[in-house]
Amino acid sequence: MNPILSVEGVTAGYGRVTVLHDISLEAGRFGNVGLFGPNGHGKTTLLRAISGLLQPKSGRILFDGQDIVGHSARAIVGAGLIHVPQGNRLFPDLSIADCMALGAYSPRARPHEAENREKVVKLFPKLAERWRQRVRTLSGGERQMVSIGTALMSHPRLLILDEPTLGLAPKIKDELCASVMDISRGGVPLIVVEQDIEFLLELTQQLYLVNHGAVATEIKPGESLDHGEIMSMYFGH
Amino acid sequence: MSALAEILFGGLFQGSLYAMMAVGLALVWTTIGVFNFSHGVFMMLGAYIAWQLVELGLPAAVAFPIAVVVMAGVGWILQASVVRPLIGRPNIVLVVVITTLAAGSLIENGALTIWGPRSKQIPALITGNTTVGGVGVSLHQIAIIVITPLILAALCMFLNRTRLGLALRAVAQNEDASHLVGLNVTALYGLAFAIAASLAGLAGIFMGGYRFMSPVMGSDPLLKALIVVVFGGISSISGPIFAAYLIGFFEAACSYYFGLYWTPALLFGVLILTLMVRPEGIFASRSRGLA
Repeated sequence: MNPILSVEGVTAGYGRVTVLHDISLEAGRFGNVGLFGPNGHGKTTLLRAISGLLQPKSGRILFDGQDIVGHSARAIVGAGLIHVPQGNRLFPDLSIADCMALGAYSPRARPHEAENREKVVKLFPKLAERWRQRVRTLSGGERQMVSIGTALMSHPRLLILDEPTLGLAPKIKDELCASVMDISRGGVPLIVVEQDIEFLLELTQQLYLVNHGAVATEIKPGESLDHGEIMSMYFGH
Repeated sequence: MSALAEILFGGLFQGSLYAMMAVGLALVWTTIGVFNFSHGVFMMLGAYIAWQLVELGLPAAVAFPIAVVVMAGVGWILQASVVRPLIGRPNIVLVVVITTLAAGSLIENGALTIWGPRSKQIPALITGNTTVGGVGVSLHQIAIIVITPLILAALCMFLNRTRLGLALRAVAQNEDASHLVGLNVTALYGLAFAIAASLAGLAGIFMGGYRFMSPVMGSDPLLKALIVVVFGGISSISGPIFAAYLIGFFEAACSYYFGLYWTPALLFGVLILTLMVRPEGIFASRSRGLA
C-alpha cells in the first residue's frame, strides 16, 4: 500500500528560527501513525506545515502522490487532508450547529453533510443535546468533541489530531480515546500527536519519535516496544 | 409635545446615519481586527459617484444602486492594497490606522481635484415635506428612517442565516481554525471591506440628499461613528446599531436643550465616561466576534 502522505526532507520554521530540520516521514502505509516526543521539538510545526498554515522553506509534502507544498490551506482541506489543531480553541461564539456547518464548507464535503452530521451525532451523542449552545459554554472535553466533529464534517481522507486528550480529566479522556478508535475503525487513517504513549500504542501501527525537529526513531509494525524503552527514548539514556 | 417629537425625530434620523457608518467599522474590526480610518471617505465617495451618475443623466433609482456597487469594489480594492499586504505584521492595528488614513487623504484630495470644492447636492429619495407631531420634516428623512433598519436587519439576516455570513463570523473569531475548515480567509476579508464600503457609500447618498456635499463631508460622520463604536462596543454589530440610535437621541436632546455648540463637547464627555467606566463598550461581551 502506498503512503497517503509522505513528508520528504522538510525544513520549516518561524522567521529566522528553524524548527524542522530536513524531516521525513510517511503515513498510511501500515495504518495509523503516532507522533510523540518532547514539547517544543516541532510536532505542531510539522502539522502546520502539512496543513498549509506554514510554508516550508524546503522539502516536499506529498498527499495522495501530489506535492501540496505551496498550496493554500483551503486547497489542502479541499483535497481531504483535515487537521484538528491543538487546544480546541475553535470558534468560541458559534454554536455547535454552526461549527458543523462550517466543517462542511468545502465543495468536497458539502454533498456528504447530512450523512456526516449523523456520524458525528452517533459518535458524540453529548453534542446533540447541546446543539444550539455556544462553544465557549462547553467543557474542555466537549469542545474537543466539537473540534473532532467539525473535522469529520469535512469528510476527511486523512485526519490529523494534535494532542486530542491534552488537559482532559481521565474519565473524559477515556471516552474520547474510545471515540478516536471508532473513527479509525470507520476507515479514516489517522496521524495522532499524543503524549499518552499507551494510547498511541493501542491506536497506531507506526510511531515516530520527533526530537530536535527531526525523526529520532521510527518504530515500524512488529517492532513493538515496552514502556521502559519508550521512556528511555524520551528522556535520553 | 413638539420638543419630544423633535428630539425623537432628530435622534432616529441621526441614529440611522450613524448606525450605517458604525456597522461598517465594526464589521471590519471584528473580521480583520483593524480600524479603517478611510471609512469616512467611503461615505464621501459614494455620494460623489452617485452625484456624477445623476449628472450624467441617469435616474436616481439607477444611479444610487450603481454607486453602492461601485463602492463595494472600492472597498475591496482598498483592502487589497493597503490592508492585506500588512496582515501578519507586528503592530498591524497601528500600521493600518496610518495606511487607511493616508489612503483616505489621497482619495479625499483626489475628489477635490476631480469634482472641485463647490458644494453639490444629489436628489432626495423622495421630495416633499410633511408635518409629524408638530414638527416639519422632509420625506427624504422619513425614507432614511424607514430604510436603514431594513438594511441593517438584512445585514443581520445575512450574517446569521447564510453560510457565507457564518463564514464571516467564523473568520472574526479564529483565523487559523477558519483556514483549517477551508474558508477563503483573504476573500472574506475583502468581503467585509466591500460590505462596509457599500454601507458607508449608501450613508453618503442619504446625506447628500439633504445636506450639501463636500470632499470632507465624511470626516464628521466618521468621528461620530467612532464615538458610537467606542460607546456601544466594537466587538459585535448589534452593539453599535443600538448605540448609534442612543447617541443619535442623545445628540438630538443635547442640541435641543443646550444648543449645537455644546453637543460635540457633551458627546466626547460620553466617550470619555464610557472609556473610564466600561472600556469594552456598554453592549459588548469581552470577546471579539460578529453576531
